[in-house]
Amino acid sequence: MSHYNREPIIKIEGLHFYYNPQSERPVHALRGVDLEIYPGEYVAIVGHNGSGKSTLAKHINALLRPSAGDVWVKGMNTRNPAHRLAIRSTVGMVFQNPDNQLVATVVEQDVAFGPENLGVAEDELRARVEWALGVVDMLDYRHRPPHRLSAGQKQRVAIAGAIAMKPEVLVLDEATSMLDPEGRESVLAAVRRLNAEGTTIVAITHAMHEAAQAHRVVVMEAGRIVMEGPPRCIFARVAELRALQLDVPQVMELSYWLNQRDPTFPSDLLFVQELADEVERRVNSRGQL
Amino acid sequence: MKERPLIQISDLHHTYLRGTPLAVTALRGVNMTIYKGEAVGIIGRTGAGKSTLVQYFNGLLRPTQPGRVIVDGQDMSDPHLDVRSIRQKVGLVFQHPEQQLFERLVGDDIAFGPKQLGMEPAARRERVRWAMEMVGLDFEAFKDRFTFSLSGGEMRKVALAGVLALRPEVLVLDESTSGIDPRGRRELLERLLRLHQDHGVTLVFVSSNMEDVAELVERVYVMYEGRVVMSGTTREIFARPAELRRYGLGVPQVTEVAHTLAARGIRLHRTPLTVAEGVEEIWRTLNS
Repeated sequence: MSHYNREPIIKIEGLHFYYNPQSERPVHALRGVDLEIYPGEYVAIVGHNGSGKSTLAKHINALLRPSAGDVWVKGMNTRNPAHRLAIRSTVGMVFQNPDNQLVATVVEQDVAFGPENLGVAEDELRARVEWALGVVDMLDYRHRPPHRLSAGQKQRVAIAGAIAMKPEVLVLDEATSMLDPEGRESVLAAVRRLNAEGTTIVAITHAMHEAAQAHRVVVMEAGRIVMEGPPRCIFARVAELRALQLDVPQVMELSYWLNQRDPTFPSDLLFVQELADEVERRVNSRGQL
Repeated sequence: MKERPLIQISDLHHTYLRGTPLAVTALRGVNMTIYKGEAVGIIGRTGAGKSTLVQYFNGLLRPTQPGRVIVDGQDMSDPHLDVRSIRQKVGLVFQHPEQQLFERLVGDDIAFGPKQLGMEPAARRERVRWAMEMVGLDFEAFKDRFTFSLSGGEMRKVALAGVLALRPEVLVLDESTSGIDPRGRRELLERLLRLHQDHGVTLVFVSSNMEDVAELVERVYVMYEGRVVMSGTTREIFARPAELRRYGLGVPQVTEVAHTLAARGIRLHRTPLTVAEGVEEIWRTLNS
């Protein structure tokens, strides 16, 4: 990627965060996080519950303010209340449970809610709602009441609501974890499309094969970043991930174990096609000997 | 292994808001049998009717529309049925655990069922401890935590512990591994396997995670638009990827590798369902 000559769109420096700082037992959720995210990047943040990844995400659109350290969004410090509106229209958020995110009684009104509040004009509003519902494949449901939809459908509406505000950064906090395979794939396809069109993606996920499609994977543990790099490099570190009790995509694990048996077999294959290619090549070349 | 049918569903129909303009049909004639002691998966895209169906398994829904439900020999449409005995026998863990927790403290929440059964405080405490251990929650650390301060994964464990505390014969899990972190997920799968294998608990595992299904269950029902459209052993079902795709489902990645190879004329000895099987099968093919 050629982002190194650009300014980061998100810059996090020395970030600490305590829940209930005044209480007897404050929870030290973030313990010194430094992270820069560049425009157009697709970053996956993985880690266990309680590792701090959701807390980190909530700092990116100023839902939480640092106990120590700083978070800048496009150069705006999230500590400054005057920036809050600008930050929230820059960073869209989608959470795990769509029930807490849907507000209106009809799907298309729900999607229109955000941009309407931003003062988007009528024609543009209609176009955006249609586009956003199209991206998540929910146009057929536009006149339905959201509470009658299934969990997966609701989540797609929530995502449509977030992207209808045309944010530069979209933060997905385990947004696919309650979807079925088809729903998950349709959302991931939408995310890839948005990213290809230039939206910066920060995806918090437990699904390692989803993280595999990111440009960069950030692994969090106990409030700190413990590993960071391209998915192929991160997931090849099977032993370290195992030590953290994290999963590895199944293909990567196959690749790793086959390499353990035969060191000439590559240990860093990430996708089904790559692994099939390698096996096919070996089967065919064996025939020629 | 298949002893006797524990749950028998025949030609079951269910329409929400029947007779109104908002009517939505969830079940369109479902036939299904769950045998004592087996681990069965029910898979299907969202809206296929899975969650509606499993609510019939413990009498949360009772047949009032066409269809018959027999649980442990009892006809669920019988108005004189003792539903409490059925609910003790068939434990249901919902998709959204927060809807299942209602006490302020974790320990009280898990103790609720045993208390209703009239268990003595000391026995109750042991039962709660056992249930928390089964789901991997430390008794001392968690019993006095506020339920609403828990993370999603922890809430799910508490909900599961609350159901386990009743020592059900059948455990029905509705999307119980979705949204849990990898550590919690693997732990939960291992614990469910142990409940099934060591304690003989019948498992009904509703999931849209094909990798979990492949690891846990022996038999699979596929639902689509309110009907059962495929059924068979887990290996038989995942050997039919094209049909699964038509129903909005997939196969585990490792199985997909096998299908991709098969499409190129390289056939593995059997369709692998887990990474360990995949390594063996590919290794065997490379060295044959």
